Amino acid sequence: MTEIVVVGAGLTGLIASILAADRGAKVTLVARGRGGLTLSHGCIDVWGRSTPSRALSRLRMNHPYRLAGTGSLRAGLEFLRALDHQADYPFIGNISRNLRLPTALGTIHTTALAPKSLASGDLRDKTPIVIAGVDGFRDFYPEFVAANLHKAGVSIDDALRLPLPLSTVRRDRYAIDIARSLDDSHFLDEVARIWKSRLSGIKRLGLPAILGFANHQFVHEELQERLGLTLFEIPTLPPSIPGLRLERLLHRKAMEMGVFVIEGPKVLGRVDGSTAAPRVSGVVLQTAGGSRTLTADIVLLATGGVMHGGLIFQQDGRVRESVFDLPVIYDEGRKHWTASSPLETQPYANYGLSVNEQLQPLGADGLPIYTNLFCAGGLIAGADRSGEGSRQGIDIATAYRAIEAALG
Amino acid sequence: MIRPNLTTDQCLKCNICTSACPVASVTDNFLGPKAVGPQAARYRYPHQPPSIPSLTWCSGCGICSLVCPHGVAVAEINIQAKADLVNRGKTYLRDHLISRPELLGRLASPVASLANKSLSSRPTRWLLGKTLAINSSAPLPTFASQSLRNRLRSKCVATPPDPGLSADQTVAFFHGCSSNYYEPELGILAVTILEQLGQNVILPPQKCCGLPLQSNGLLKTARRYAQANISWLAPFARRGIPIVGISTSCTLSLKHDYRIVLGLQNDESNLVSSSTFDFFEFLTHQLAHEIDKLDFKPLIAEAMYHPPCQLRSHGIGFPALTILQRIPGLQLHLSESECCGIAGTYGIKQEKSQVAYDVGKTLFEQARRSEVDFVLSDSETCRWWISKHTGLPVYHPLEIVAKAMDIV
Repeated sequence: MTEIVVVGAGLTGLIASILAADRGAKVTLVARGRGGLTLSHGCIDVWGRSTPSRALSRLRMNHPYRLAGTGSLRAGLEFLRALDHQADYPFIGNISRNLRLPTALGTIHTTALAPKSLASGDLRDKTPIVIAGVDGFRDFYPEFVAANLHKAGVSIDDALRLPLPLSTVRRDRYAIDIARSLDDSHFLDEVARIWKSRLSGIKRLGLPAILGFANHQFVHEELQERLGLTLFEIPTLPPSIPGLRLERLLHRKAMEMGVFVIEGPKVLGRVDGSTAAPRVSGVVLQTAGGSRTLTADIVLLATGGVMHGGLIFQQDGRVRESVFDLPVIYDEGRKHWTASSPLETQPYANYGLSVNEQLQPLGADGLPIYTNLFCAGGLIAGADRSGEGSRQGIDIATAYRAIEAALG
Repeated sequence: MIRPNLTTDQCLKCNICTSACPVASVTDNFLGPKAVGPQAARYRYPHQPPSIPSLTWCSGCGICSLVCPHGVAVAEINIQAKADLVNRGKTYLRDHLISRPELLGRLASPVASLANKSLSSRPTRWLLGKTLAINSSAPLPTFASQSLRNRLRSKCVATPPDPGLSADQTVAFFHGCSSNYYEPELGILAVTILEQLGQNVILPPQKCCGLPLQSNGLLKTARRYAQANISWLAPFARRGIPIVGISTSCTLSLKHDYRIVLGLQNDESNLVSSSTFDFFEFLTHQLAHEIDKLDFKPLIAEAMYHPPCQLRSHGIGFPALTILQRIPGLQLHLSESECCGIAGTYGIKQEKSQVAYDVGKTLFEQARRSEVDFVLSDSETCRWWISKHTGLPVYHPLEIVAKAMDIV
């Protein structure tokens, strides 16, 4: 049985682990902390700027999408969709036309796939919208959302605030607090009762993403039915509930499929030179106690880019890869990393590893550095993922391609 | 040298820790690990007292540090600050008592049956509740009439070890208070398993790891215990003899807390740390070869495995699972909760009893709903607590492995 170690438990690492387990490999997933996915909006952005399916064929050859191939993207998305469907958390949308979803800032987020409760807020649907916040929740301002959407040319019928049945409140409520409260059926009953009279005549209501955590599907459907309207969610400040829901779902699925998950340790690459071909022998984990060696036939790096720990930007102006110290494509000198304005495309966004079509990191000679080392996700150079609106699409496409290349 | 307080600068306020915190998710008395920890600590001068009483709600489960993607020692900051708070206020007689399981064991084991009878009687529990604020529904351990060390006198060795002792295939067993005074049978099983796998097991001098003292803010005494253990165990580690424990909380103290929470960072403590193994970590890492050769006897049962929060902090995953999964006929369900609520001595306190129960509620419900025959967990206080609240038998995974190895 092929033993594979996946480093990083964001969207890329989780999907790659599940895919590898699905192909019969023995998978160990190692991660230091939970990150990117729990902070994300929980949607799958493929190409936010325009129609994904059309834009992808026109990309440069070294763009991660081109390297992984659109076939990997389609297959990866189908795989994710099937997983989410199984888990009763279906995603809506496709890559031929983006959904247009309102954000908590009142801007428009174009995305390929979104969970059902978010997708009902699609602004291409012309059903009139009312935006509502809830009392005691400081991360969502309905008036602000409505005003900004109005500026963006979307008409919003009304912005209002709804009360929550809380006896005493000893601290600020986080989105997760309210979502967990709504998981409780008594609380849900009470909410339905006190909201009902305030919402007459409304067809579609946008709320911050608080509609349940563990029982989300039930909370969403039940509340829609009781209030007699379409309810949709708008993701709030991180950690956002849709991000947490997707993380929880994939994490569980991975465990269920026998993936051995190790959370906590710092990971360092291990190359012992025991074989003739240039290969890695595994990783070394810095656990709470000593270092523990994990040998593997294949190592997949899904450690992410700048914001996620895969790349380390050093004071001395160098950029390093954090696990195997692989060569990174970047501009020497700190002043070249950023653009003059924060609103421009940032040069650092494109930094990362140069890889081939098997997603093996390449050396200066253009050859794979190690034959059994692969990488996926934000670690790969050549994409400004936030600017393109391609973050999750790249994660999924490259995870799929890397596993396919590694396991055949 | 890692100083928890210096890691506050790495905190981005992302609230990943807050959304994962088992306590903050059931009570708003607790502001959450971020708010009382890195956020508050940034505004404190060194040696300035922590000013947030809400800190005392922290159970010390360590999930916050585990999930932090930026290496902030959230739990460690909070444990230190909590201790500071305790030392500046009044300390309770109760906290001094419940944090000394070794002393209690030593005093009570000669009169074990009398002590057990009176502790299990309702009037005594009522009285303990009234006078000492000990949660009258919390399970208290039963004392064994003969300690493990007494029963295995021939295996007890002095420190430093005899120069004639061969370090090869030798294991120094850290039994902890629990298997010495309360569950010696478990200690004997662990020793038998190790012996069957070809190990020579010795019992080095040791005392209570000090974790209960640490959790109750009595850091000075905890440090004394720690220093004693380090000086007794280091000579074994220096000889290359691994230290193996069956209680995931004791072993975490040896690996991590002595150095990071209690600030005892030196060559000796580092050596003890890197030489300490959780029982199943040792089996899967050091004895993998022997384990692979074993033919487990079938065991037709459905069980739920709950990895204790303290085990998670080891950063080694759940090694018991990999062995349990090999037992034919054993159907495993994985706990969906990160903590059972007891957190060592937290749930024993009357003022914390409701919160501790609420933390464990989803776990208890899952156990009941899945209709398992028994539950498995590696820490003693978790086992007693889960058994009390589910009415199910709760075993250490090694008891089941012993069964499958035909030892019992």
